[in-house]
Amino acid sequence: MGETRKKTKPKASDDEASATGGLASPHAFSLHLACGLSLAAALWIAGAGGESVDLVSDPSRTLRLVWVIECPIAILLYSLARERPAQTSYIRAVVRGALALPAGAMVNALGAIALGAPVGTQYLAKTINWSLVMSTWIVVPAACVFGASWNSWQRIFAFTKPISSIDFMICLPAHGAIIGAWFGAWPMPLDWERPWQEWPICVSYGAMIGYLVGMVASLGFILLRHGHDHVKID
Amino acid sequence: MSPSSITCSRFAIIAAAAVLLQSLGLSLFIFGFFPTKPALSGVSGPESFRAPWPNGVGNDSAAALPPEELKRLYQELSEISPPFDRLILMVVDGLPAEFVLGRDDKPPREAFVEAMPYTQSLLANGFAVGYHAKAAPPTVTMPCLKAMVSGAIGGFLDVALNFNTQALQDDNIIGQFFRTGRKMVMHGDDTWLKLFPGSFIRHDGVSSFFVKDTVQVDQNVSRHLDEELCRDDWDLLILHYLGLDHVGHLGGRNSFLMGPKLKEMDEVIEMIHQSSLRDKKNHQTGTLLVIVSDHGMTESGNHGGSSFEETDSLAVFVDLGDHTLDHASATDNSANQIDIAATVALLFNVPIPKNNIGVVIPHALNFMTDAEKMRALELNSWQLLRLLQAQLSGLPCEHVLVEENTGDTKSVVTECGGNIEQVFCCLYQNAAVLHRSWKFKRIFVSNIEDYKSAAAAYYVFLRTASQWLARRMTDKPVGLLVVGISAMILSCLIFLGLVFHLNEALYVREDHQISSLKKYAFSWHLDEIFLMGATLIHVISMGSSSMVEEEQYIWYFVSSTFYLLLIRKTAQTILADRTQSSVGLSLSLNGKISYPIISLFSVLVSGRILRAWHQGGINWVNLPDISKWLKLAGHEYVKRLWLLACLSVIILSIYVLIFLWTRRKMVLVVGFSFFIPGLMVLKYIISHEDDTSGSFTYSYGSTVSAQKIYRVLGALTVVAVVAVPWLIHIWTSKACSNGDICLSTSGSHDILKLPPLMEMRDSFYVIGWAYIFCWCLLQLLLQQPTNSLPVLLLLVQIYASMLHSFSALPAHKHWIEVAALYQLGMAGHFALGNSNSLATIDVAGAFIGASDFSMLSSGVLMFIITYASPLLFLLSMPMWISVKDFNCLVTLRNANLGDLLKMMLGFPCVIPLCLNSVTLTAYTIILLLMRNHLFIWSVFSPKYLYVAAATVCVYLGVFIIASTGTYIYLVTFIGKDKIRSFNGGMR
Repeated sequence: MGETRKKTKPKASDDEASATGGLASPHAFSLHLACGLSLAAALWIAGAGGESVDLVSDPSRTLRLVWVIECPIAILLYSLARERPAQTSYIRAVVRGALALPAGAMVNALGAIALGAPVGTQYLAKTINWSLVMSTWIVVPAACVFGASWNSWQRIFAFTKPISSIDFMICLPAHGAIIGAWFGAWPMPLDWERPWQEWPICVSYGAMIGYLVGMVASLGFILLRHGHDHVKID
Repeated sequence: MSPSSITCSRFAIIAAAAVLLQSLGLSLFIFGFFPTKPALSGVSGPESFRAPWPNGVGNDSAAALPPEELKRLYQELSEISPPFDRLILMVVDGLPAEFVLGRDDKPPREAFVEAMPYTQSLLANGFAVGYHAKAAPPTVTMPCLKAMVSGAIGGFLDVALNFNTQALQDDNIIGQFFRTGRKMVMHGDDTWLKLFPGSFIRHDGVSSFFVKDTVQVDQNVSRHLDEELCRDDWDLLILHYLGLDHVGHLGGRNSFLMGPKLKEMDEVIEMIHQSSLRDKKNHQTGTLLVIVSDHGMTESGNHGGSSFEETDSLAVFVDLGDHTLDHASATDNSANQIDIAATVALLFNVPIPKNNIGVVIPHALNFMTDAEKMRALELNSWQLLRLLQAQLSGLPCEHVLVEENTGDTKSVVTECGGNIEQVFCCLYQNAAVLHRSWKFKRIFVSNIEDYKSAAAAYYVFLRTASQWLARRMTDKPVGLLVVGISAMILSCLIFLGLVFHLNEALYVREDHQISSLKKYAFSWHLDEIFLMGATLIHVISMGSSSMVEEEQYIWYFVSSTFYLLLIRKTAQTILADRTQSSVGLSLSLNGKISYPIISLFSVLVSGRILRAWHQGGINWVNLPDISKWLKLAGHEYVKRLWLLACLSVIILSIYVLIFLWTRRKMVLVVGFSFFIPGLMVLKYIISHEDDTSGSFTYSYGSTVSAQKIYRVLGALTVVAVVAVPWLIHIWTSKACSNGDICLSTSGSHDILKLPPLMEMRDSFYVIGWAYIFCWCLLQLLLQQPTNSLPVLLLLVQIYASMLHSFSALPAHKHWIEVAALYQLGMAGHFALGNSNSLATIDVAGAFIGASDFSMLSSGVLMFIITYASPLLFLLSMPMWISVKDFNCLVTLRNANLGDLLKMMLGFPCVIPLCLNSVTLTAYTIILLLMRNHLFIWSVFSPKYLYVAAATVCVYLGVFIIASTGTYIYLVTFIGKDKIRSFNGGMR
C-alpha cells in the first residue's frame, strides 16, 4: 500500500516539476554558485573585511557571519524553485524558510549534543551559531522547496532517494554536510593540541567540505540526468 | 546447501571448541609476550666472590654462618676494604634529575638552583657526584624501588597484577644487608615496610594515600632525623620523602610549592652532611649519603609512562667522609637506576644480587684504590657472567681462559665477532687478560695506561652484557606468539562463520514462501554497514596510542550515531504510517509507533548523561564532569542521589516485571522475594557513613550487612533460575487443564501461543529480569556512591532497548540488536569511570564486605566492579530472547526443537563472542607490531590486560546465557509427550 503510494506520488510531483521545479542545469549551477559564493564571501568578510577573525580564532562570530549572509540568499533562491508554485506563493515559501531556520537549528543542536557536543555556557554561542549554519545548509532549502510535504521530506532524509533535479540539489549537499560534520568530529579527542580541535571548529570544517562536495556531486548528477533525458527525447 | 545441516549440538560443540582455542591462544600469547620473572632463584652467597666456573675452590657452607661471621667472610673474600660503614639512602619521591643536574649540558632552571644551594655547592666542589639514573617503565614507586634494590627490571605482569604490595622475594641489597647483620632504620613511605617486612629495627611509615598533604608527610620523616643522626646503632638509614611527588601531582613541575619543597630537601641534605662532618672524628670510616629519586614526573606532575621526563630519576652519591672526588663536571652523567644496586653492594662488601643486570657506576668507585676498583669490576663481571650462563647454556669461556698467558697483551686482545656467546666470551677474555697483565706489571711499575685500558675493557663487557640481558627481559619467544596468534585468528574466523551461518539459517529457509523477507535478509541496510564500519574503525584506531587512551570517545560516538540511525530507520516507518492515516486508516497506529521512538530517545538521552558523568581517558581527564561536581557538592548530595537511584531501580524493575501480569502468581512470588534484597540495599545505603576521612575502614556493621546482601542475592538468583521454569511449567499445565486461556503478554502471533513456547519465553523473561535486578543491586552496593545514578541510567538503557526490540516494526535483524547491546555495554564500561589505564580500577570497592583480606574475593569483586556494564548487558540477553520474535522459525514445517534452541541461544552467545574475538585478535596483532613503541608498557600493555579481561567477561556472560537457556529448554520440553504435542501443534 504505502509502497505504491510512494511510487505514484513522486511521479505526480515530477510532472509538476517538469514545469516548475525541474531546474535546467544552468539554473542549478547558478543556484549552487550563489550559495558557494556567499559562503566564500562570508569567510572572506570575516577574514579580510574588517572583522579579521577566522573559524579558529573566533568560531562563534565567523559562523554567525556565515549564516547571516548565506541564509537570506539560500531562502530567496530556493523559494524560487518551490514545489507546486501554483498553490504556494513565493512569500509563503520565504516565510517557511525563515521559520525552518530556528527549527532546523534546534534539531541539529540536539543531534550534536546527543553525539557528544559539550554543553555549557561557554559553548552556548558556538553551538547555536554552528547549528544555525547547519540548518541553513540542510533544513532551509528543503523547507523552502517542499514546505510541509512529508513525503518529500521522507524521501530526501529518511530514504535518501532523490528523484528530480531539485531533490538532488537539496539531498546531496545536506547529506554531505551531515557526513562531513560527523567525520570532522573524529580528530577532536586526539592529543595533537591544535587550536582547531575545539568544538565546533573541525566539525564546521568537515561540514563545509562535505557541503561543497555535495554541491559539486549534485551538479554532476543533474548534468548526467539531463544527458539521459536528451538522449531519450532524441 | 541446507545451512540448517548443522544441528544444535554440533553448533554448540563448534562454538565451545572455538572458545577453547581462543583462550589457549590468548594464554600462550600472554605468556610469550609479557616478560616473566628473572632467571635465577635464590640469593647470592660467598660463591659470588669466585669465578663462575667450577675449577675454583667450591663448597660453601655460608648459610649456617651467623651474620657477623658472614660479614667478615664477605669482607675477606671480596678483597676490598670497605670505604664506608654506614649508608644513608635518601629517596625523594618523584624528583626529576633535571631539577638538580640540568638537561643536555644545560644547567637546571634558575629557581631550582636557588632552591638547592647546598646540594649545588656539594656538586660543584666535588663532594658529590650526580647521575641521571634512567628508570625503567612503569615509573611507579614500587617497581622502581624494587629495581633500585635488586638491580633487575621487573616483569610487566608482575607489576600489573600486584595490586597489594607484597614482600620482595628476589635477591636484593636490603636482604643482603639484613643477612650480614646490619641494622636498618626506615622513615617514610610505607612501601618499604611492605617490601621488607621485619627488616627494620625502627621505622615510621607514612602512607602515600593523602596526596593533598605536602607538608605533614615530610615532617613525619624529618622529625626523626635529629635523633637518628645522633645515634650510632644503625648501619643503613632509609629516608623516603613523599612530599615532592605530592606537590607534582597537585600542581605539576611548575607548582609554586616546588621551590619551597626543594629548599626543604636541601635543608635535610645540609643537616645530614653537617652532622656527619661533625661526627667524623668519632667514626673510623665514613658515611655514604646516596640521594635517589624513584622516578621523575611529566610537566603536569604525573608519572607511570616512559617519557624522558618520567624516567629521569636522580642518583647522587655524597661522600660524608674525607674522600675527595675528582669528578666535578657533569659530562658523562647518565646511568641506569638498576646500577645503584651493584654499586652499593660493592661499596659495602655484600654480594651483588643474583639477578642484577646493572653495572657499577664508574665514579662511585673513586672511593677505592685502583686494585680494588679492578676487583669490583671483576666481581660485577662474574655476577653478570653467571646470569649469562643461565640464559645461554654452555657459555664456553672457561677453556679459553685456561690457555691464556700473561705475556704480551697486545697480541691477546682481539676484535670480537661471531655469535653472541663468542662475543661475550671474547669481551670478557679481553678484560680479564688486561686485568691480569696490569696486575702482573704493577709489581714493577704502576702503569696508568694499562689500568685505563683494562677498566675500559671491563666496562665494554659489562655494558654489552647488561644491555643484552635487559633486552632479553623483553625478548619474545617467537614460536609461542605465532601459535597463539594463529589460534586466535582461527577462532575468530570460526566465530564469523558461525554468525554467517546463523544469519543464513534464520532467513534462507523461507525463500520460496516469503520473498520479501528474503530480500530483506540479503539487502545490506545502513545500520548493518555502519556497525561493521564502526568495528573496523575501532580496530584501526587502536593502533594509535592516543586513540587507545581516549577509546571511550569512539564507543560513545559510535553507539549514539547508531541510535540516531535507528531513529532515521524508524522515521521511515512512521512517515509511511502517517500517509496511511491521512488516507483514513485508524490513528491508533501512531500510538504503536511511539514506543520505538520513545525508547530510542531514552537510550540517547541516558547515553548522553552517562557520557558526561566521567571525563575519562588520559588527556582531558581534568576537565569538569558530573562526578567531580558531585564530589565537590559533598557526601550529603551523593547519598541522596544514591538513595534515589536505588529506589528508582527497584520501582522500575518491579514495573517491568508487572508486564507479565498474566502470570499473576509468578509476578507476586518473584516480585516480593526480590523486594527483600532491594530493601536490604536501601538500608545499607541509609546507614552508610561518610568515609571522606579516607581511612577505608568499613565499620563492622556495614561489613556484615554487605555479606548478608551478597548471600541473599546469590541465593535468590540461584533459586529463581532453578525454580522459575518448573513453577511456570506446573502452573501453566494446571491452568490449561482448568480450561483457562493460556495466554502470554508477549507475542501476538497465533503460532507463538503454543504453550511450551510461551512457557519458555516467560521463563526467559523472569530469569533475565532476575539477573538484571540482582546485578544492579550488587552494583549499587559496590560501585562508588557517585556511580549510583549511572547504574540506573544503564538499566534504563537496557529496558528501553528491550522495548525497542519488542515494538520496532519492521524488526531489526537479530545480530544488529545483540551487537547494539554489546556496544551500549562497552560505552557504559567507560561511563562508569573506567579507562585503559590500570589507575582507574576501583580498588577500594573490592574490600566492601570483606572481613579479612583474601586475594581471591577482592579480585572477584574488582572484576565485578570493573566489568559491571558489559556483564549487565550480557545478563540482559535472556530477557532479549524472550522479547524477540522467533516466530519465523516456528512456522517452518520441518522445524525441530534443536533448531529453535540454536536460534534462540545462537545470536546472544555467538555475536558477543565474535565481536570480542575480532577486537582481541586485531589488538593482539597491533600489540605485536607495536612492541618497540615508546608507549608499549604504559599504554598498549595495560589496554591488552583490559582486552583479555573483557574476553573473560564475555566468556562468563555467554556461559551464563547458554546454561540458563539450555536449562529452561530441558525443563520446558521434559517428557516426550510435550514434544509430540509441540509438533502436533506445528501441523
